[in-house]
Amino acid sequence: MDTVARLPFYCVIIPLVASFCMPVLARWKKEFCAPLATLTTGIVFILTLVIANHVIQGIPISYSVAGWDPPWGIEIVVDSLSSIMIILISGISMLILIYSFTAIKHELERIVTGWYYTAFLLCLSGMIGLVISNDIFNMYVLIEITGISACALVAAKGTRLSTEAALKYLLLATIGSGFILFGIGFIYMITGHLNIFFIAEELALVRDSYPILIWTTLSFFVVGFGVKAALFPLHLWLPDAHSSAPSPSSAVLSSLVVKVYIIAFLKILFIAFGLEIFHETFIRHLIIVLAVIAMLSGSFFAFVQIELKRRLAYSTVAQIGYVFLGIGLGTPWGLAAAMLHIIVHAFMKTCLFLCAGAIAYKTGRKHVNEFTGMGYLMPITMGAFTVAAFSMVGIPLFGGFISKYGLALGSLEANLPLLILAIILSSLLNATYYFPIIGQAYFSQEEESENGHGKRRFQRDQIPNSMLVPIVIVALGIIYLGIFPGTVLHFINQTVTALL
Amino acid sequence: MHDYATRVVFRYMLLFVLLYGVYVVMHGHISPGGGFSGGMLIGLGLLLYILIFGQLWDTRFRQMILDSAIIFVGIGGILEVLKFIIPHEHGPIGVPGTLFSVGIISVSNFGIGILVASTILGVYYMISEED
Amino acid sequence: MDLELILLNFPYFVSIILFSMGTLIVLTQPNLVKKVIGINIMETSIFLFFIAVGNAHGGIPPIFDPQFPDALYVNPLPSVLMLTGIVVSFSVTAFALALIVKLYIYYGTISAPNFMKLK
Repeated sequence: MDTVARLPFYCVIIPLVASFCMPVLARWKKEFCAPLATLTTGIVFILTLVIANHVIQGIPISYSVAGWDPPWGIEIVVDSLSSIMIILISGISMLILIYSFTAIKHELERIVTGWYYTAFLLCLSGMIGLVISNDIFNMYVLIEITGISACALVAAKGTRLSTEAALKYLLLATIGSGFILFGIGFIYMITGHLNIFFIAEELALVRDSYPILIWTTLSFFVVGFGVKAALFPLHLWLPDAHSSAPSPSSAVLSSLVVKVYIIAFLKILFIAFGLEIFHETFIRHLIIVLAVIAMLSGSFFAFVQIELKRRLAYSTVAQIGYVFLGIGLGTPWGLAAAMLHIIVHAFMKTCLFLCAGAIAYKTGRKHVNEFTGMGYLMPITMGAFTVAAFSMVGIPLFGGFISKYGLALGSLEANLPLLILAIILSSLLNATYYFPIIGQAYFSQEEESENGHGKRRFQRDQIPNSMLVPIVIVALGIIYLGIFPGTVLHFINQTVTALL
Repeated sequence: MHDYATRVVFRYMLLFVLLYGVYVVMHGHISPGGGFSGGMLIGLGLLLYILIFGQLWDTRFRQMILDSAIIFVGIGGILEVLKFIIPHEHGPIGVPGTLFSVGIISVSNFGIGILVASTILGVYYMISEED
Repeated sequence: MDLELILLNFPYFVSIILFSMGTLIVLTQPNLVKKVIGINIMETSIFLFFIAVGNAHGGIPPIFDPQFPDALYVNPLPSVLMLTGIVVSFSVTAFALALIVKLYIYYGTISAPNFMKLK
């Protein structure tokens, strides 16, 4: 038991130490950086599997860092939600790192390779730490580590647009974390504790003495985490940052980085503040209204874009709306659907961005109206793209369907049946901007004269295996989540029963 | 900064700035002070030295300073992380005036000092290498 | 509002005003370096807030002295936390300045409206 209790801490420390070895290693031998980073992530992935195997029996792991017990020291708690999130984070990161073996050489200058892996591993360790930490100030520090290294991932490309996007991201993200830090200050002022469990105990006692201060604190947290997680009116940094970054960075930013902030928000909202405050205050309605606007307008803005990666980035804004809708509903099915959507969307967006990167790698096409005949030129990549797009729209047998179905059930439970209309409308909008791409790729007739021969034949994708394998694995993962969601739902149900 | 006055004054001041930095680092664990503020003093002292005299050095030497700064950040970081990896329950309170009386904390304190000083140098070099 | 209440909670008011000013500067100033200064003002206001939370009226520095075992100490924890906050603020500033240097090389200006257009 003692050994297992220490493992979550090593999940944070190992990438942290490895990240500082990268620039030194890059001076000596640049080729070793990518395998070493992948190896590190693989070790972390195995550790997370061991942890999850332990947590699934129903006992959360808790560990006091450096032997200082909770009220003073930093406590690490891995419950079922955290365990599945750390598996997701390390697994997806490992796939993206395998993908970036060749993609990084193509997209980045040679001199920044070592620093790219530094930023990536720092981001990984920040995300894992944020999910498992139980101390809100420690959470703030890890939020900043994740945020700054995510900015570095965007800026790594070094072009005009990406530098600009990175600066915008950095400024807005710092405002967001300023709001979060102020909220933490308010909590410390009210309760005198920084550990989430102790805050919950203390808040239950003194809640009635500070009604207005608690409202203020909650609004500060909603604004702060809203900026960080790109909730609709605060999403302005996201499209630029996600579309101008190199493809592996876009994938990790869009699928993981914005999600870990939501997990942290979930922990503060449901564990520290507790359900009673959540149901009494206006916060629930605020979140639902913002989420519905995000779902509709994010999809609408995505529909307008003609650059593929910008379209995918705006689509992320809409999907974040789904997750926040599930949190705002606050019913068992709503929360379960929100968590499931976090996981499924991580798979879908990784797949879409990696496919977009692969297509740009092979053909150099970046706009949505240039996809003629792509289904024959790169059948496996385009097949994975189709799977992810179908899942995004919410067609049964794919992962996205189950989370949308859960959201609909959740809105029925919360007695707000009109929200189902919003979900259906947003799904239809999703269909209007994904289906034309797929249709053009498979059924367009225009390119025959260019090719020289009348009948088009399937040919093998001419991209390296290190790019092809992660795409296929992620696409299979989407289908697996759509057909056998049982294992994941088991973890999620444990969390939901613990939270509600 | 090819200013005669700055050069002459700082030539005598540098030693005291660094000495004060080391003093603050060494007293961090039992009295006011600490690795961060001491490391900041050392780093800023070195930075000031480089700003005043460093224009004469060639790029190869600058690159070497940057490399060693990165390595020292790593060493300092590992020393600091030791504090979290080795559980030290409720260690000794410490005796004023004795350096290693608080066990692992004093080692970490040196680590933080090294880390902060070399971070400042590294950041300066990284920004100035851009153009 | 009670004047005495305001005087007692003076640091909190100052920190809220500074926080709003900083946020306003970041969002409205066209000059990028001024934006970075705005971020620094914002974060400094938060440090002030934390240290005001930790203060005790008439407290002494928290160094344990065996002669006065039950003296009133100032809470050291917020100050220690703010040390971390200062490090974070330092790294954000350094990174932002590095990006601004790079943008200056590309555009020849550090005024935001010249290149940050709505897309």
